[in-house]
Amino acid sequence: MPADPLRVAVVCSSNQNRSMEAHNILSKRGFDVRSFGTGTHVKLPGPAPDKPNIYDFKTTYEQMYNDLVRKDKELYTQNGILHMLDRNKRIKTRPERFQSCREQFDLVITCEERVYDQVLEDLNSREQETFQPVHVINVDIQDNHEEATLGAFLICELCQCIQHTDDMENEIDELLQEFEEKSHRPFLHTVCFY
Amino acid sequence: MGEQAHGSVSSQFYSNENDTTIDMTTSEKVVELLNQAALISTEEKLIVLKQVQELIINKDPSLLDNFLDEIIAFQTDKSIEVRKFVIGFIEEACKRDNELLLRLIANLNMLMRDESVNVVKKAILTLTQLYKVALQWLVRTKSVSDMQEACWDMVTQMKEDVLGLLDSDNDGVRTHAIKFTETLIITLSPRTPDSDTPKKQEGDISLDKIPRDHTYIRYDTLCEEGKSALEQLLKFMVHPAITSINLTTALGSLATLAKQRPMFMSEVVQAYETLHANLPPTLAKSQVSSVRKNLKLHLVAVLKHPSSVDFQGQISTLLLDLGMSQSEITRCTPATVQPRKRLHHEPYVEGKRIKMEAPLVEDDEDKEEPAPVVTPKPSSSVPSSAIDLTAEFLLPLLNPENVANLVLISMVYLPEVMPASFQATYTPVESAGTDAQIKHLARLMATQMTSAGLGPGLELCKARDEEVKEEDGGAGESSSKDPLIIRKLSAVSLGQAISVVGAPAAYKSPVTEEAPQIKKLPEPILPTTQPKAPGASGRKKVFKLADVVQPFSEDQIAKLTDMAIRRILQSEKTIAQSGMSHVRVKLLARLVTQFEGGKKNDLLHFILEDMRGRSELAFSLLYHEYNEYLSQQPSGSLDSYEHCLFTLLSGLQEKPEQRDGLFTKLVLEAPVITDSALEVIQRYCEDESRVYLGMSTLKELILKRPSRQYQYLNVLLNLSSHEKEKVRSTALSFIKRMYEKEHLKDCIEKFALTYMQFLVHPNPPSLLFGAGEDTEVASPWTEETVRQCLYLYLSLLPLNHRLVHELAAVYTEAIADIKRSVLRVIEQPIRGMGMSSPDLLLLVENCPKGAETLVTRCLHILTDKVPPSPELVERVRDLYHKRVPDVRFLIPVINGLEKNEVIQALPKLIKLNPIVVKEVFNRLLGTQHSEGSSSMSPLTPGELLIALHNIDSSKCDMKSIIKATNLCFGEKNVYTSEVLAVVMQQLMEQTPLPILLMRTVIQSLTMYPRLAGFVMNILARLILKQVWKYPKVWEGFVKCCQRTKPQSYNVLLQLPPPQLASVFERCPEMREPLLQHVHSFTPHQQAHIPASIMAVLEANTRKPEPEPQPELLHPEIIEEREVPVPKHISMPAPVSQPEPLAPTPVVFAEPLPPPPLQQQQQQQQQQQQQIPPRREEVEEPMEQEETDHASLEITPEAPLQQMEVSEEAPQSNSISEKTDEPMEETAAMPVDVADEPKDESEDVVSEAGESSVD
Repeated sequence: MPADPLRVAVVCSSNQNRSMEAHNILSKRGFDVRSFGTGTHVKLPGPAPDKPNIYDFKTTYEQMYNDLVRKDKELYTQNGILHMLDRNKRIKTRPERFQSCREQFDLVITCEERVYDQVLEDLNSREQETFQPVHVINVDIQDNHEEATLGAFLICELCQCIQHTDDMENEIDELLQEFEEKSHRPFLHTVCFY
Repeated sequence: MGEQAHGSVSSQFYSNENDTTIDMTTSEKVVELLNQAALISTEEKLIVLKQVQELIINKDPSLLDNFLDEIIAFQTDKSIEVRKFVIGFIEEACKRDNELLLRLIANLNMLMRDESVNVVKKAILTLTQLYKVALQWLVRTKSVSDMQEACWDMVTQMKEDVLGLLDSDNDGVRTHAIKFTETLIITLSPRTPDSDTPKKQEGDISLDKIPRDHTYIRYDTLCEEGKSALEQLLKFMVHPAITSINLTTALGSLATLAKQRPMFMSEVVQAYETLHANLPPTLAKSQVSSVRKNLKLHLVAVLKHPSSVDFQGQISTLLLDLGMSQSEITRCTPATVQPRKRLHHEPYVEGKRIKMEAPLVEDDEDKEEPAPVVTPKPSSSVPSSAIDLTAEFLLPLLNPENVANLVLISMVYLPEVMPASFQATYTPVESAGTDAQIKHLARLMATQMTSAGLGPGLELCKARDEEVKEEDGGAGESSSKDPLIIRKLSAVSLGQAISVVGAPAAYKSPVTEEAPQIKKLPEPILPTTQPKAPGASGRKKVFKLADVVQPFSEDQIAKLTDMAIRRILQSEKTIAQSGMSHVRVKLLARLVTQFEGGKKNDLLHFILEDMRGRSELAFSLLYHEYNEYLSQQPSGSLDSYEHCLFTLLSGLQEKPEQRDGLFTKLVLEAPVITDSALEVIQRYCEDESRVYLGMSTLKELILKRPSRQYQYLNVLLNLSSHEKEKVRSTALSFIKRMYEKEHLKDCIEKFALTYMQFLVHPNPPSLLFGAGEDTEVASPWTEETVRQCLYLYLSLLPLNHRLVHELAAVYTEAIADIKRSVLRVIEQPIRGMGMSSPDLLLLVENCPKGAETLVTRCLHILTDKVPPSPELVERVRDLYHKRVPDVRFLIPVINGLEKNEVIQALPKLIKLNPIVVKEVFNRLLGTQHSEGSSSMSPLTPGELLIALHNIDSSKCDMKSIIKATNLCFGEKNVYTSEVLAVVMQQLMEQTPLPILLMRTVIQSLTMYPRLAGFVMNILARLILKQVWKYPKVWEGFVKCCQRTKPQSYNVLLQLPPPQLASVFERCPEMREPLLQHVHSFTPHQQAHIPASIMAVLEANTRKPEPEPQPELLHPEIIEEREVPVPKHISMPAPVSQPEPLAPTPVVFAEPLPPPPLQQQQQQQQQQQQQIPPRREEVEEPMEQEETDHASLEITPEAPLQQMEVSEEAPQSNSISEKTDEPMEETAAMPVDVADEPKDESEDVVSEAGESSVD
């Protein structure tokens, strides 16, 4: 396994906070990583809980950034959204939707159960061709900056452990159990096939 | 290696060249690439090989055949990736040219037995594809060659092998085998109109495309093989120890089957039902939720398929159980358009499908107990499944009484701990007692019974299967040529036969009531529950054994246990290989905790031998010890646990090195940190090579174990005053970080302050000396101990400026030695705070009594490198004016003060210690900072010197002033001749004349002899100002004239006769030369000399009578003479000036008026010309005179001053160096003073030296 690097995808809802945080850290640690969202739209917090800023997946981070600066620079600076977008645009141009990506991964890590369900649904609805397995693991992370950072480190640790196994498929079960105990959170885990 | 690398580089280079030259044929290129591939590293090799693959498969397939062997040769490559590539290549090649199967299938077969599981997995994936390819290829060929037959036989063999891999002990391999099975089943079953076939597999072969008349491929055989594969898959799924991933995979495969082959819908749904009711007990809680989630997902997918119509009831019951709402289920249910669709595959299903349930059952079960008689409800039209039949049978039996009995009896079999799967799936039964619920229950039970091989439905089905099988079997045997298939079939029918034997018996036996049934029921379930409580059942057996066996003697027991444990210890590797090491660890830990002493130590030693590898054992042991302690609560003792933890921790410390944080892990995961463990941690912290590890562990403890946080914190705090610098600084940096935490802040602060408070005590507390406790006696404070008390405080200070007030409080009470130390150590932190710190400003403002030195020190530190801020100046000014009028406060901020403030303070300032005075002057003159420009002095150097001259002698003794001026003269860079000239000019214009005027003039002249001309002018002007009225100045005047002869002759001649006489009185030796000088005049010139003057000149003969007259006259004369000044100046001065050499310059008859400033330059230049020759004459006498001269200067001043000074004065007259000592004592002016006069005299000497060079 160590010979070929793990191809990892990190998926959250909008490909903004949690997945990008993890993307950031993982790529810094040398992983072959991509990040995605599963939502139909990209949603960012707005002036009120019922007024989110909604973009489609074609909008670049840069555009969102500028849009928010225009709307209320202070608010979005203060709640960290601008900072986050700024970080994101340095990682890649725009959010990506998991459902639109045909690349094959070894490991898909989702950041909440709903996303996990969507990923599974998508993977299962694809036509199987190569039967190459892909492991999908859900790590529940609350959608805020602090939790995203903590979660990203957990994900990174997880990936590093998986990367270091001799036989990932044979050991991943036990590994996850260990991690569950250590981190005190349950992981959903399944395998799908391309 | 190096050579290879070199080779690869050059060959790459070469290949780049090739790319540019297109002439090369593909074939040549391939050869080139293959040659490279043999030599280079794995990664590059893969790239190159992929290029080759692209070339010979896609670009020019005609080459495929040529290079096949070369590529296949890589199948023995060391790298897994390369071997995997070869497999991929085989797949691509065979897909491109099916004929290659003949040559390559054997290779694939070989690779499938590779030692690396990853290669095996890849091989399985490829076989999944190639199986279809091979089948299609054979079907296409009408006349099959021997080779092809052999090839197909091999494929079939491999297929069997993969199916066998369902029992592999590698999880991943099993997963792949499942997927293979899935594809196999789909291929080996007919596609029907209601099949959901993925677009890309539209063209794939399936059973329906296989001609029944093929020469070699037998439709029936394949059909059977497909079914047997399904059987295996279903059987695999009900294995109690299946892993969650395998289960998930299988669930997915079943869903695919149901969708693509709706004919299997019934089996699939049943399998789902069975699984739902019997989740493997080995699954962990989260795995259960993962599996349930999967099950739900797949059920929904299956439900969406139109053919699910007949199973909608069962599926929705399952989905409801899985937590889906009815509305959601309805949404996923397809509109029941063609309920009869299922009929399409009815003919196929008939008989054949049902038969598959048989192998699900463990056949030998039925021998034991006769099953209840089936209710005579012949399933006439639609053949129901075994479960259906059994459920139907059970339904009427489920009356309240029976159910209650069932519940009671099954209580006995409940596991001790609720299995995770149950916990996760349990939902309260809401519709208990309703028909629907009873039906559901019946079905659940039926599922269980069927899977356990029980129930009337099963028997019935078996009987029915048997008939079919008989026919099928016969047909199969006769038609099949494949020996494998034949063997398989016979095996199946053999198993079947056994079950048949049992079945009729079951029917015959009379219907027994529930009782036997109940007795029977739980047994098959037991195997699944057993693993849940292995401990309970295991222990029971041990006790039984003890009853039977003779008791050993104590010694024997001890020996045996020892040996047993040792064996377990030594079997580490063997057990690890078998994958059961966790059991061993648990066993050891549990065993050893039950014994005292020796065994524990043995185990601990064993662990410490390879702490990293055996950490699991260590933790296990630790937890068991702790458990032991807990179980003995409240009387339990922690000793044993403590010993264990302590030994482990100290053992780790003795190891030379460990990077992997085992120590930290051990500390953090230990349930309790005992005192001795804490000591080990502290030892870690004190060990310079481990200090960081130790402290970061300690930090984790502090942050993560809040209950004893303060105890841990205290350890860290104590280390902050550790004697080892590294320990201390690390501790400090950790504490500083923790200081940011609100809840720790107070504690840290309190500690720092407590330590600082020690400084108030007369002696350092014993605490500071570590363990030795009775050192209290009399050991005095040392610099070191003082620092120890302050380290923490000082490092907190920049973080919390408020603390500075505490320091001031302590400082006032501390003894002098401590004060001194404190002043030394505060520099860094105070500088860190900066002069804008409000608290620091407040401290300056308040300046507690006794802390003046501290405040001053702070001020100095703050203004050392930067000019004072206005705020700071303001505070200091306030302090000075309102509370503590100590002029020393002003020094640091002196450059921030107003000019007049400085001048006011000057008298006090210059009375201070010479070193301090020097610093004041440095600040004022800007000679302190190298940057210079940063501080703007309120006074220019000239102004300063003038201010010094103007100090009221009642406010300050002359001596100090003189010293101060000397300091100025010391700064030659600042006090240039120009500056001094301006100063002299301005001083001279003052009325009254400053006392020190002439001293300054003489000193300037000494420093800059070229000022002589200018000085002559000054002297002349002084005459106009009637200098003789100021005794001190007059004295200096004379002295100056004396020193500047012969130039001064002309000046002297301008004096009124009485004053001239007074000059001669003072220095009679001047008279004769002056007279000679006059005699050397031309007669005309001589005529200008008044007679009265001449009279004085010719001294002894005449008496100095006319004194009053000339005094009156002279001013007039001077005034008259002033008029022609411009004329005189307009005359070319050079002509006259050089003359002093020649004794008689005619022009000089008239007295020289003071030259205006503009002319100074000119004059100086002129004088420079004339000075050198004369200097040689003058030099020596001047030098000799110097000491006298200096003393003379001072003597006359003395009477003017206060008593104390005058006392000194006479002493100081004699020899300047001697005077210093008494002065030092009285005025408390050390060191510097001694240097001063020396400097001066040196200056003079060096001046002289310089000028002689001129």
